[in-house]
Order: sequence, then structure tokens, then C-alpha cells
Amino acid sequence: MTQKRRFLRVTHLLFLVLLLVQIILPDTSAKETNTGTLIAFAAGLEILTLAVSLFIKKEESLSLLLDIVGFIYVVLTVWSLATAKFHVLNDLLFPAPGRVLAQFAEDRQKILVNIVSSVGITLQGFLLAAVVAIPLGLFLGWNARLGGAATYITKFFSSIPPIVYIPYGIALLPTFRSVSVFVIFLATFWPVFAGTMSGVLNVDKRIIDSARVLNVSKPEMLFSIILPASLAQIFLGCNQGLSVSFILLTSAEMIGARDGMGYYVKYYSDFGDYTRTITGLLVIGIVVIAVTFAFNRLQQHLLRWRK
Amino acid sequence: MSTNKIEIKNLTVNYTENKHSFNALHDVSFGVRSGEFVSVIGASGCGKSTLLSVLEGIRKAAGGTVEIDGKTLRGTGTERGVVFQHYSLFPWMTTRDNIAFGIKQARRGIKRGERLRIADEFLGKVGLTGFGSKYPSQLSGGMQQRAAIARALAMNTEILLMDEPFSAIDAKNRVILQELLLSLWEGDGSEPRKTVVFVTHDIDEAILLSDRIVVLTAHPGTVHEIVEVPFDRPRNRSELVKTDAYGTFRNRLLSLLYQDVAERIGGEEVVI
Repeated sequence: MTQKRRFLRVTHLLFLVLLLVQIILPDTSAKETNTGTLIAFAAGLEILTLAVSLFIKKEESLSLLLDIVGFIYVVLTVWSLATAKFHVLNDLLFPAPGRVLAQFAEDRQKILVNIVSSVGITLQGFLLAAVVAIPLGLFLGWNARLGGAATYITKFFSSIPPIVYIPYGIALLPTFRSVSVFVIFLATFWPVFAGTMSGVLNVDKRIIDSARVLNVSKPEMLFSIILPASLAQIFLGCNQGLSVSFILLTSAEMIGARDGMGYYVKYYSDFGDYTRTITGLLVIGIVVIAVTFAFNRLQQHLLRWRK
Repeated sequence: MSTNKIEIKNLTVNYTENKHSFNALHDVSFGVRSGEFVSVIGASGCGKSTLLSVLEGIRKAAGGTVEIDGKTLRGTGTERGVVFQHYSLFPWMTTRDNIAFGIKQARRGIKRGERLRIADEFLGKVGLTGFGSKYPSQLSGGMQQRAAIARALAMNTEILLMDEPFSAIDAKNRVILQELLLSLWEGDGSEPRKTVVFVTHDIDEAILLSDRIVVLTAHPGTVHEIVEVPFDRPRNRSELVKTDAYGTFRNRLLSLLYQDVAERIGGEEVVI
């Protein structure tokens, strides 16, 4: 990659446009716009992008990064034009981007506590489900007779939208946290269990024969052969469980929690504080992306042996 | 008292497919001496792979017995190393780990470090030095089969069962692998040779490698004839194929193989 290809990109032009719009056009909104915060954020992002551009090796990765950053600049420009600069949108419902960024900085302590609460509950329910569902799925999938019945039973239970367990969970369990973990457990358990079973049933017979002639013991067959051989489908189930878990948890938090990101969004929108509502929405998006990204990395690592 | 390493007696195997049962092997009997290389050839569907899967212990016979060292065979066992056409190696293990896993199964009590050392040693023997940390999907078909052979050899079993190991390999590499297997099996005389049962549909492969060739006919699979290969060892492929004796012997095998087909389709009208 030449230095030109590396640093002379449209994204940096978009940054300058954003910067000029902020400096040249005056704010017309009566509300606080925190244009300074927006400029600081954009400048920080630009410096970070340039720093990363310096070290990135593959041209495709650089283009991907620059496209995403460019998209952020465009959104911020249009957003600030429609709010702070020309006041096209109602400024109660649509705070200026700088305002949202400033709110995030102001509330960072509170937001962190809520993220920790939400992610903690999700991981607890999710991991608990995976730890139970995977060995059980391996065992039942491997025992063809039980596996047949289990397939139908799973179909029945996984067809119940897990959200309807919430009222019953509240009746059964003492705390909000235990209800949430319980519901996420159920939401994750069935897809992971079904994925594991179908993974086991679809393991190539030639792989199983290959293991049998090596005289592997039953636990070895399940955990050293069948588990890795069906890992791709187990991950399919896990991905499904994980995405449903976030939907469920944030919904549950809006109903009965005292913390969590869903609670944060619901609580402040009840007060008409839409700055915090939008801040919360964006934070949830970022958190879900981060968790999904980490999980995909794990998946890629564990399945690196595939073509 | 039999002196054969493997003794197959009146073996009958039935298959059930879509509720129809058919006879895959019928009354098959032959023995394999210790240190002997025996190939089983026949047209596709003659039951040669079925026969091998009984020897592997992954398929049950409907009648008859298989004895190894005079003991009736029951199920799989680590005194037999197996190389399949596909998926001998586990795709999620590196080649080194695949071989080490085989060693762990067959030779209990060897420590992990030692297993890995043996694995590398055998990777070297099959010409895969430096490929130990590759996954099977990163290797060509021929290299995968080299690694599979390395695993079977590293397990140090007395018996080697090979089910069309080179059938999916291109012609050029197949020849190279056959010669590699031949030289590894013939060895330098310091160790007793392994007893090999090798299933193939490639006549030249069978002649080059074997001491004896068992010709099966299909529907149901029965032993048509057992032929002694009249060529001295060590064998050199390129010299061997030039001789008249080779051509004559090859024709004899071909006619044995196709005689059955011809009779089945309708006698003299079939030109081979």
C-alpha cells in the first residue's frame, strides 16, 4: 500500500466537512448543543483512525475501517445540521449529537454499572444454558433412540417464545436477577440443545468409523470426537441464543428492573429525557456489537481448522 | 493349530437397506500369514470394503468368524491400524496431534511429550517434516493420506488394514504413495513386516504391493480365486511393468475380474 492509498481517503475529507460545518455554521437551537464535545469526539476519532491506518496491513481492512468511520462522520454531520444548526427537528425529541455525547460522558459511571449488570446477567444465563445443553445434547444425540424423542420435545419447547416465561418466572423466583437468568437460560438452552443434537446427528459416519477403529472410550468419543465434529452447529445454536438473550433481557429490564441498559432507556424516556434515551440506545448497540464480536472471534478461533 | 495371523472362516455379511436385506458377503474364507501383504480386489459392490469393515471390527458378521492370532475377533481393537479413503484424520486436530492421538490410543502409557516426538519422527518418514502443525484441510489429498499412513505406522500395530487409501488421489501422486508404502512396509529388515490387508480396485496397485491377491466376485461377494503374485521383492515398479511376465499376469487377473462380469451380462457378446 502506498502512503497515498493509506492516508488520502474520502473519510478524512468527510471529517473536514464535519469540522467546518461545526465551526462555520452557528447554532440556532435554544437548547444546549455541546458542539465543543462533538468536535472533540470527532477529532479523537480521527486521530485514532489515522493511528490505526498507520499500522493496518491489509488494504481491505483499512477500507472497511475507513468506510465505517466515514459513515459515522456523515451521520454526525447530517444529525447536527438537522438539530443544532438548522433546527429542523423538534429539539426536545431530537437532541444535538454533541448533547448526546456530553450526556454519555456525564453518565459514564451510571452507564458502566448498567452495562455490567446487563452483560453479567446475560452471560450468567447464557453460560449456564450452554454448560447444561451441550453435554446433554451430545449424550442424547449420540443415543439415537432417545435422540428421536428429544428432537420433537425440543421443537415443542423452542417454539414457545421465551418472553412469555417472564410473568411465570416472576411468580416462581424471588429476585429480578434470578428471573432474568432463568428466562435467558431457557432462551439459550433450547437452540443450543437443538443445535448440538443436530450437529451430533450430522457428524460424518466416516469420522465416527475412524474414531471407532482407534478404540476410543465412550467419554472420548463424546468429547474428543463428536463435540469438535459438531461444533459448527453448536455455535449456530449459541449465536441464536445470544441474540435472543439481549432482546429478552432489555425487554425484561424495561418491565421490572432497578438497573441495566433496558431500565436506563425506559426510566429516562418516562421522564421525557430523550437525550438519555438516545444515549442508552446507542450504548446498547455498541455493547451488543462488542459481545457479538468477541463471541465470533471465539468461534473463528475454535473452528480455525475448517476450510 | 493355524499359523495364520488372520483367519477368515465362512464369513457371511448381510446388509439391510430400506427394509431389504441382501447378502453382501457369502461364505468367504481365506487366511493371511503373519507379515504378509494381501490385496483384495473386485468390481465395485463386490463387498471388498464390507469385508475390511468386518476386520476393522465396525461391522458384525451374520455368520462365520474372523480370528486374529487364533482368537475370535470381537469389535474394534488397537492391534489393528486402519487407513481409510477419506477422513482417517480428524479435521480439528493438526497432523501432529492426529498421529499423537493414534499413539495414545494404541500404546497406552507413553507420555505426551514422547508421543509428539514419535509423531514428528513418523511425519518425517512419510515426507511431511514441517507439516506437523497444519490441519488436514490445509494439506492436499495425497499429503493427508501420507499423514494417515504415518499415524497407522506410529501406532505400531501388527496388522494394517487399508481401505482404498489411494483411490481418491491423482494418478501421479498415487504412484508416489504406492512406492512410499511399499518401501515403508518392506523396511530394512530390522523389524518384522506388518500384516497388511489392502482393499483396492486398481490391479496394478495390487500387483505392485501384494504377496497374494484375493479376487472377489459380486452379488453376493464370494472369493473367486486367490492368486500368488510371482514377483520377487524388493520390487521396482518401472522395471517390473516392462517385463512380459507382468503383462501376462495382469491379463490373467483382468480376465478373472471380468469373467464374472461377462458371465453376468450375457456371455460372449461382451467384448472386453
